[in-house]
Amino acid sequence: MDPLFLAYSYFRRRKFKESADICTKLLEKNPYDQAAWTLKTRALTGQVYVDEVDVDEEGIAEMLMDDNAIANVSRPGTSLRKPGTSSQGGPSQGVRPTSQSGRPLSGFVRPGTQGGRPGTMEQAIRTPRTAHTARPVTSSSGRFVRLGTASMLSTPDGPFINLARLNFSKYAARPNLAKALFEYIFHHENDIRNALELAALATEANQYKDWWWKVQLAKCYYRLGMYRDAETQLKSAIKQQEMVDTFLHLGKVYVRLDQPLTAVETYKQGLEKFPGETTLLTGMARIYEGLTEMDNAVKLYKDVLHFDNMHVEAVACIATHHFYTDQPEVALKFYRRLLQMGVYNAELFNNLGLCCFYAQQYDMTLTCFERALSLADEATVSDVWFNLGHLALGICDHNLAYQCFRLALSNNNDHAEAYNNLGVLELKRGHVEAARAFFQAAFVIAPHMYEPHYNFAALADQLGDLQSSYVSARRAVENYPNHTDSQELLKQLRQHFSLL
Amino acid sequence: MSLFKTREWWSTSVGEAEEFDNGCLCVANIDNESSGSDKVILGSYQGILRVYNPRPQKTESGWSGYSPEDVVLEQAFQQPILQVEAGKFSSGSENLVLAILHPRKLSVYSISAIAGSVAHGSQYKCEGLYEHNLQRTVHKFCYGPFGGVKGKDFICVQSMDGTISIFEQESFAFSRFLPGALLPGPIKYVPRLDSFVTVSSAWRVECYKYQVLAVASDSGGKDETQNIRSGKRVTFDWSFDIGEQGMDIAVIAFPQAPASILILGERSICCLTETGKLRYMKKLGYDPSCLLPYASLSEGTINYIVATHTNSLLIYQDVTLKWAAKTEFTPVQCQVANFKELNGVIVMLNDTGRLECVYLGTDPAIFVPPHVESRELNYAKMDAEMAQLQKRIKEKGQKAVIAPNRKPEEDLQVNIHVSPNLDEMSMATGVEIPEEDSVPSIQLRIQVKARMLIDNIKLEVHAPWPLATNRSDYSIPSVEPNTPAELFVSIFQRGNSLPAHLYVQISASYQSATGGSRITTLRAALPAKLVIQPVLPVKSALHKLTIDTNKPPISLNDIFPDMLGENAGGQGAALGFQFFGGPVVTVLASKTSQRYRLQCDRLEAMWIPLKELVSRLNQHFNRGKYGDFRASFDGSLPLQEYYELVDSHFECRLGATKCSEMLAQRASQFRVIERRLLTRFKDKTPTPLQNLDTLLEGTFRQILALGDAVEQNQMAEAVAANNLSCGTYLLNFLIRLWTDMTDEEFKVLENAVSPVVSESAEQGWQEMTDAAVTHLLRTVLAKSAKDAAVNPSPLSIPSDTGKVKKHIALLCDRLGKGARLMDGLAEKKERTIKLPTPKTISEEADTELSEESNAVDNVISPNFRSEKSRKKKRGVVRAVEELAPLGLPMMDKPTADKSRRRGLGELSEAKNQKIRSMVPDLDDMSGGGDEENHIANGDS
Repeated sequence: MDPLFLAYSYFRRRKFKESADICTKLLEKNPYDQAAWTLKTRALTGQVYVDEVDVDEEGIAEMLMDDNAIANVSRPGTSLRKPGTSSQGGPSQGVRPTSQSGRPLSGFVRPGTQGGRPGTMEQAIRTPRTAHTARPVTSSSGRFVRLGTASMLSTPDGPFINLARLNFSKYAARPNLAKALFEYIFHHENDIRNALELAALATEANQYKDWWWKVQLAKCYYRLGMYRDAETQLKSAIKQQEMVDTFLHLGKVYVRLDQPLTAVETYKQGLEKFPGETTLLTGMARIYEGLTEMDNAVKLYKDVLHFDNMHVEAVACIATHHFYTDQPEVALKFYRRLLQMGVYNAELFNNLGLCCFYAQQYDMTLTCFERALSLADEATVSDVWFNLGHLALGICDHNLAYQCFRLALSNNNDHAEAYNNLGVLELKRGHVEAARAFFQAAFVIAPHMYEPHYNFAALADQLGDLQSSYVSARRAVENYPNHTDSQELLKQLRQHFSLL
Repeated sequence: MSLFKTREWWSTSVGEAEEFDNGCLCVANIDNESSGSDKVILGSYQGILRVYNPRPQKTESGWSGYSPEDVVLEQAFQQPILQVEAGKFSSGSENLVLAILHPRKLSVYSISAIAGSVAHGSQYKCEGLYEHNLQRTVHKFCYGPFGGVKGKDFICVQSMDGTISIFEQESFAFSRFLPGALLPGPIKYVPRLDSFVTVSSAWRVECYKYQVLAVASDSGGKDETQNIRSGKRVTFDWSFDIGEQGMDIAVIAFPQAPASILILGERSICCLTETGKLRYMKKLGYDPSCLLPYASLSEGTINYIVATHTNSLLIYQDVTLKWAAKTEFTPVQCQVANFKELNGVIVMLNDTGRLECVYLGTDPAIFVPPHVESRELNYAKMDAEMAQLQKRIKEKGQKAVIAPNRKPEEDLQVNIHVSPNLDEMSMATGVEIPEEDSVPSIQLRIQVKARMLIDNIKLEVHAPWPLATNRSDYSIPSVEPNTPAELFVSIFQRGNSLPAHLYVQISASYQSATGGSRITTLRAALPAKLVIQPVLPVKSALHKLTIDTNKPPISLNDIFPDMLGENAGGQGAALGFQFFGGPVVTVLASKTSQRYRLQCDRLEAMWIPLKELVSRLNQHFNRGKYGDFRASFDGSLPLQEYYELVDSHFECRLGATKCSEMLAQRASQFRVIERRLLTRFKDKTPTPLQNLDTLLEGTFRQILALGDAVEQNQMAEAVAANNLSCGTYLLNFLIRLWTDMTDEEFKVLENAVSPVVSESAEQGWQEMTDAAVTHLLRTVLAKSAKDAAVNPSPLSIPSDTGKVKKHIALLCDRLGKGARLMDGLAEKKERTIKLPTPKTISEEADTELSEESNAVDNVISPNFRSEKSRKKKRGVVRAVEELAPLGLPMMDKPTADKSRRRGLGELSEAKNQKIRSMVPDLDDMSGGGDEENHIANGDS
């Protein structure tokens, strides 16, 4: 059997390692075998390939040094930085908890759903509670480096292609080699500069007529943070030939430029050409979710399900929406569907348990939580205990609730919500000092939550420490402008002060 | 992700350790049976051809499955089989015959059945019709009525180098190079266009007309050979760039659907019209393995199956997912077949030879979650257990800190033996004391004993700065029960500061037999002679402390026999000790009264000699029997001097915060400038840099200078912290002697006015001590209910040290008046509800401020107050000296000198000035900056 044929067959069957090994042997015999060389680059790329559209790692440096935003003070509803300003009111913060950046929690964890755009370095460095790893300083460190170093593992005697000695203009002129080589440099070697050089030369060699090379150029520009250049290239590519990937990349560029509405327009334009493309629909839905326009987002997620009823993200997001809009029975149906589809993890059982509880199916609730606890890993077990604590509150078993929150804290001592709830319980028991300490701990850990601020303010008001009460109430209102209790407390305090 | 799984109708595992790939499966009525039912034909890379005719029987428990009679034919070939196809390849008949592709050969066979006369059924025969030997290694072949021929199929073989060879049945027609071929892509024949469609290495769908290929010959149609070396460049009819490698092509010719071409890429599916226009495309979120269009169920749409590497079978109608089913494996090829018993069966093959005929159904994809471990429910027992647990939780809940129970015996024992003599050869290295050439060192013998075999012990010797060790961490691979490990480590003084105490801490961490990680810690006391050396006594000194005893005086020579040095042979009335690089402490023993006196220029330096003196006196008098020796202190507490230590440490802390603020400000400035520069460099049209680069460099230098300043300040803070620690030890010790405290009370005092001065940016000694002392004042030492109501101040760095000083004075005052610290402990436990009752009734309800002056007056004797003003000045000067390194680059010497005698108010201004002066002069750098400007402009 011909070794090259076998290698090609392995490659088709996604057995990249075997394929690359055979190619290595072929190349030892004949270093100038172009077919084997190309196949090996493609096999090595296949080992580490991640669709660039899905990669959305935003480093601290990118967020802070970002000078691409059009306006620092944007009009309401036109920016992802200031969510909740759109005219269509999203869910109230009192009902649906928010992430650190003020967006409502999503039903699906994606890169970027946890951080958001912080205003200051301190806020940026603070790790979101559910992320559990620190955010990379720049995206050129972080996960990309880990992807890049994969090349070192597979080839102990140095890299397969020495990029420094490659004559790019020679390769750029050969369309059958250049594309595979580009993907290798971009995905496997993670050397964006060289990839950019190759792409630029190849675009030129194709007389600026190949849309593929323009998209690749844009990908490189995007990685290098040159969003405007990426936009130009992508638009030019769309003019030449409309492809799904091009629209997705263009939308991503606009999101990065903080122009969500333009991004939505782009996706819509793409949908006209490719009706029912789920990736485009999901992209739009994610933006609406970020803008807290939940109705639009859910509508789009339902469209996604029409075209692909196995779409986990859509099901999960719709379920979350229903749960937080007080329809636990409907949410339960969606979560059950996820379970039937084969999703099997602690988060799902936790959500199922909560839905069952609020839908008054008490018999199932504890079983679900039991399962969630048995499946939970270190990162999630504290959240499960926290939810169990809520359940205990719901059945008025304060002792159990207290113990659950303590367990949540013993598993993750950064759990601000648990601190806050413990504080309330302590207050009920009459331990003012302990309650105060818990509230303080909660708002030090999670300054974006309004509950501990308000609780602290109310407590301080009762104790007569009006100054602290005023400060905390102001912070609560800052975090959640529509919180009536905080506003009233503030009003009362102002009156009090003016009387003095 | 799927709700359902495929339902198995018939399945078998083919061969052992045989390999299959796309092309190895073919479904056709190959024996031309009249009923028209399909047979499954398989060829493996190991060269074995098999034909199956699945005939499962329906039984009560479902389909009977595979039976040996289902095998129609099995034949081994010498060469691997790469592809099998059925078509009208025979020139003699219009029957279906089988074409088999080997790496270098194409053979055509006819398979026929001979009806058997006996019960065991018919017999099948495989007859070779013709074969072609090939010159090149082949990849795939496709077939069809090339050139519009009726009722016949011709074969087009594609080789690994992209050449195609056309065979018109028994005869060879021609070979052609396809342009730009590197690795062959999938190839298919489109009958309506009479063209070939392939995906080239340039990731483009290309369509070549058969006619164009046929006429593009060098030799004008004469003597065509397979072995061509060159050829005319053929051009494609149309092309479409899909931007990824194609995996499979399917030509759609269903009556209801528009004629189109489906291309399965690695990441998407494209549907093109026959003229190369995009109809639709679908981006895939998974790795597809094969594609099969099977029907057009409604007007204008195409239904197709995609199998994935995530083990599922997805059925699409255009871009809409219609059905998803879970499969047991990843198929490399699937086909739809019509059998006698069942029509429309999906036949799937994976690469290890698992062959399955399945159909779709609503069998749930059953995933049985593992059972959660559940106990037998015995409610009575559970209740009892719950009650017991609750009780325990309640008990534990009382104590805020749950201390782990110490096991009676540790697995690992660490013994330390401090050598009685200093090392003969000093092991000290890296000594930072300028005044001393060599400092002594002392050796510690650490013995590690284990009760059982313990592996991988990490031993750490921590000597507090300024003490140091010659090696701080050891790792012991293993210790056996009978052979303890021994280590030697030398301790010496390295830093130029007063040591706060003479303890080294040794901790060993290991894994116990139960798997938990355990730590054993031990403290070892070092002799005082390690850090002080005997010198001649000094007559006069600033500070004096007098200790009274109840025993007749004794010669100092008797109690300091090992530290006499030059004083040996003296009367034993006076001894001098000097710290390495530090002040001299003189110890005097009164000849007549029962008193001893220590004197020194610095208060904090007296701590170690004092402790040494008292402990040696204790040892001397209380030797053997239970002695009644007591030392006491009657003088006034040296609070004022102590405050200076507090202040100087506080100054250092303020300096540190100031520095870090400045650093943060400069760093943000640096980032802003960087951002501006970046914008300029990124700009398409070059703009002048406007000296931003100079500014950047200037800021950079400032940051570096500030970094140095921070480092120096840290050093100063460490010294001040050690001094403060010494002072606190001393003060506590004196209070103890003064008020004759019990050990427990002393513990409370040491916890409140802690001699441990840790360096932490968040909570410093001043506020922690303040909080602790305030707590004591409002609980055990409270005079009135009003005292108890005072709220604790927040734990943040205070603006000055007035409060903590005031509170310490108040504490001393109350202790002096006879208040006890001990009762508080008992009271504290009930504190949550009951308010503490004041122990002494206050004589008047005066404000705290007036109390403070009282307190200070009471504690400090008048002669101290007279010295107060002088001392204050000195304190300030010292603060300046220690702060002098605060961000001072070398060139600023003159200003540093000037600031020596400045007051506190001017200090900050001077500091600011210095920091300002760290900005490099912009004028000096402008020349260079301009140059860079030009370069930058030239570049862009």
